[in-house]
Amino acid sequence: MITGYFWVDLILKVVAVLVVMIGLALVAIYAELKVMAHMQNRIGPYYAGGRWGWAQPFADALKFIQKEDLVPAGADAAIFKSAPYIVVAATFATFVVIPFSSSLVARNLDLGVFFLLAISSLTTLGVLMAGWSSANKYSLMGGLRAGAQLIAYELPLVLTVVAVVVQAGTMSLVGIVEAQAAPIELGPLSISLPFLLKGQIVGFVIFMVAAVAELSRIPFDMPIAESELTMGYLTEYSSLRFTMFFLGEYAAMISMSAVAATLFLGGYWMPFVPESALTYVGPFILIAKIAVLVFFMLWIRSTWPRLREDQLQDLAWRWLIPVSLANILFVGFFKVVVF
Amino acid sequence: MNDQPEATSVFDTYGAALADRLGGTAIVEHDTIRIYVERDAWVETVRRARDEEGLTFFSWLAGIDWSKDVAVGDAVEEPDGLNERFEVMCRLSSIENADAAQFIAVVPKDDPVIDSITALFGGAEWHERETHDMFGIDFAGNPNLSPIYLPEGFIGHPLLKSYPLLAREVKPWPGDVDVEDMPEEEA
Amino acid sequence: MTTDYGALMHRSEVAVSVELQTQDMTLNIGPQHPSTHGVLRLVANVDGERISGVEPVIGYMHRGYEKLAEVRTYAQMTALVNRIDWVSGFASEVPFIIAVEKLTGIEAPERAQWIRLILTEMFRISSHIVFTSSYPLELGATTPLFHALRERERVLELIEGMTGGRFHPNFNRVGGIKPAAGGGKTQKQVSMDIPAGWLEETKAVMERVLGATDDSDTLVTGNELIKARTVGVGCIPGDKAIEYGLSGPNLRASGVPFDLRKHEFHLPYDQVDFDVIAGQNGDCYDRYWVRLQEIREAAKIVLQAIDKIPPGPLRSKAPRVLKVPKGQVYVRGENPKGEFGYFVISEGGQKPYRLKIRSTSFSNLSILPWVLKGALVPDLVAIMGSLDFVLGDVDR
Repeated sequence: MITGYFWVDLILKVVAVLVVMIGLALVAIYAELKVMAHMQNRIGPYYAGGRWGWAQPFADALKFIQKEDLVPAGADAAIFKSAPYIVVAATFATFVVIPFSSSLVARNLDLGVFFLLAISSLTTLGVLMAGWSSANKYSLMGGLRAGAQLIAYELPLVLTVVAVVVQAGTMSLVGIVEAQAAPIELGPLSISLPFLLKGQIVGFVIFMVAAVAELSRIPFDMPIAESELTMGYLTEYSSLRFTMFFLGEYAAMISMSAVAATLFLGGYWMPFVPESALTYVGPFILIAKIAVLVFFMLWIRSTWPRLREDQLQDLAWRWLIPVSLANILFVGFFKVVVF
Repeated sequence: MNDQPEATSVFDTYGAALADRLGGTAIVEHDTIRIYVERDAWVETVRRARDEEGLTFFSWLAGIDWSKDVAVGDAVEEPDGLNERFEVMCRLSSIENADAAQFIAVVPKDDPVIDSITALFGGAEWHERETHDMFGIDFAGNPNLSPIYLPEGFIGHPLLKSYPLLAREVKPWPGDVDVEDMPEEEA
Repeated sequence: MTTDYGALMHRSEVAVSVELQTQDMTLNIGPQHPSTHGVLRLVANVDGERISGVEPVIGYMHRGYEKLAEVRTYAQMTALVNRIDWVSGFASEVPFIIAVEKLTGIEAPERAQWIRLILTEMFRISSHIVFTSSYPLELGATTPLFHALRERERVLELIEGMTGGRFHPNFNRVGGIKPAAGGGKTQKQVSMDIPAGWLEETKAVMERVLGATDDSDTLVTGNELIKARTVGVGCIPGDKAIEYGLSGPNLRASGVPFDLRKHEFHLPYDQVDFDVIAGQNGDCYDRYWVRLQEIREAAKIVLQAIDKIPPGPLRSKAPRVLKVPKGQVYVRGENPKGEFGYFVISEGGQKPYRLKIRSTSFSNLSILPWVLKGALVPDLVAIMGSLDFVLGDVDR
């Protein structure tokens, strides 16, 4: 509660979340351009906005917005036009529960994790709508591939998060961070560790793999598969709607990394930082962790080719899901018997 | 080069022996063996060359149009004595050594049909389609004799000697335009 | 409002119990498409993700080379034949000029033959680098492209230094190669030979190429995902490859160790030492691997050849107006893509009576309907890319 009035608070919070989301997404776009360029032995954006090319994402956004807005003649106009907004809205909603510090959170829901997973799966719906309504065989194939992939990788994502919830004992994201901050007594010593180091390493790896698949990034970008299907389910989109998808993808990248950082790496908390300072330093700590995870995603993108659809499904159903189920069993056993 | 008839090259011997075994006339020129066979024995000869002579690699199949009058380009050396015909030429070679031979069947112009060798070599299908496009020779037994290079609705067969080039109709041959000085013109 | 339950039940039963009849979707890939190598159109019948049949439609780039040859002199044709397979320009010129040399009886001096060999091998390196860098890109890996093309730039610079052109050198003349000359009369006297320092720079660049091949090996060949996408995909057995006329690295990857450089000696290949690289399974991975190793072999050949070039003239005397005596000859060479040959019929004039061009990619591509039956759509891109064809070569 910043001011006492509910509606003023609401508007302020919405604006703040939007600013954070779009700001971080633009930084992620710029990072992708530069980091991938250096990995490929070139420079990347160089001219837009001075020597570092920092204005490139803004230039790209402006360029897209001023393009002609095309709706294909055979397309189902209502669904075609609304698909991007559903994707963006779902991604926006996930930012609502991410805590940047114990008090800097738009809404600290008790069912934070549950809400997060439920609403982020709405993006699947948006993608399917885009693919189906485009009246284009390539888009259809891309949309169906995307649907199958996103559904398959939801399951390992959810199951690893369940393991974390079991270990933390709460579904609220702030609560999960505090569970990691709580010290464990090991004889005379008392240390506090993030969940990654408290037996969740397998869960973390599975979560990251599933997150990259949920984001349709290389090596899981069959739905977009530039060199095969032109642009998959995005082929017929132009101008503002394409910008929505584009920004939405990078915003989702940030949000997934933020969730991973909160669940496994300790979120806005770091050891040796006193409680009082956390309110101010917390956001920076979280952003630093997000940056590390986003860098890993970019690194993976530059290095590996894409998996074929059946190999992708094979990985999800035959490997990730059984292992994540075993992970839950292990964590549950650990929690009950040991802790 | 071929002044001394006693000096026969390896190609001459091989060509003569091949023609003997397969039943045709061999002409060996510049290390290239050409074996002329009858049109009716075309498929059989190719099959025997593949199975018995070890010439299993299908290199190419093409057509040649021997005509007295040419719309563009140079005519033959002695156009009056020329026997006007098509020739279908197929080259097979070995994949173990440098053995190779070209088999040629004469196809008369008033009956431009010859059997297809697609059953023996799958790769011949495209080559026969191209020859059909360019010359109008029909290959009996080819599973798909549709145009391969020419667009739909194209009239005519371009590589026939009677097929003109529009640019030459508009403007005659300008002659040999050579810009570079030859080395022997110095000093 | 009575609901006719009888009709409803019947309808739902029918809807559930009827056999699901799906129809194959006809997917038209190309002629403009990111991953077909030029204007190739594939009409594919697709059942979900599985291809039931493919028909390639070619001819979008047919330039009529064989008809054109009937109205061009042999010297003018030399300028044109390197544009058939534009990635390996010089290697396509050589068999043509040797065919003409055989018909006229003019033989090129030793030095010219060695330089032809060096340039052919450099174009082989260039063509194979284009393949090894763009093939992972089609599979989704974006990085090898930039690293490999860097070395190709060095090789193209060398070629430009010698011949004046990066892609279309037009460097062969009947009787040898074009004497490297500057402009003006005085310079012509001085530089009638290859540029000074070219041989030393070539040595340095070849060492770099060998290093870059090692880099590509590390980055791409051992990569598990590349292996998962290419091993066992698009297997072409050796006998099918021979039947369809597949040649070059495609044939060698299928296990048939046949290299024309070991059998045809119009260039002095018998005096250099190199291995014939052959694969085992004939899948996409083998085709990629064979080409990568051939880059190494080509670099080694160039290093040996630099030490073996004899001094001498670059060109034998040839008449200005070339009338080629009557005859028919077929000369083939080992193009980077396979067997490339010219069948020249001369009737004693300045222009050929008939020129038949045996272009490698035409035969290489003819196997596509056979190999794509039953493949998955993402595999279509992998298989098509691994055949390494160029549309100019297919369509002539």
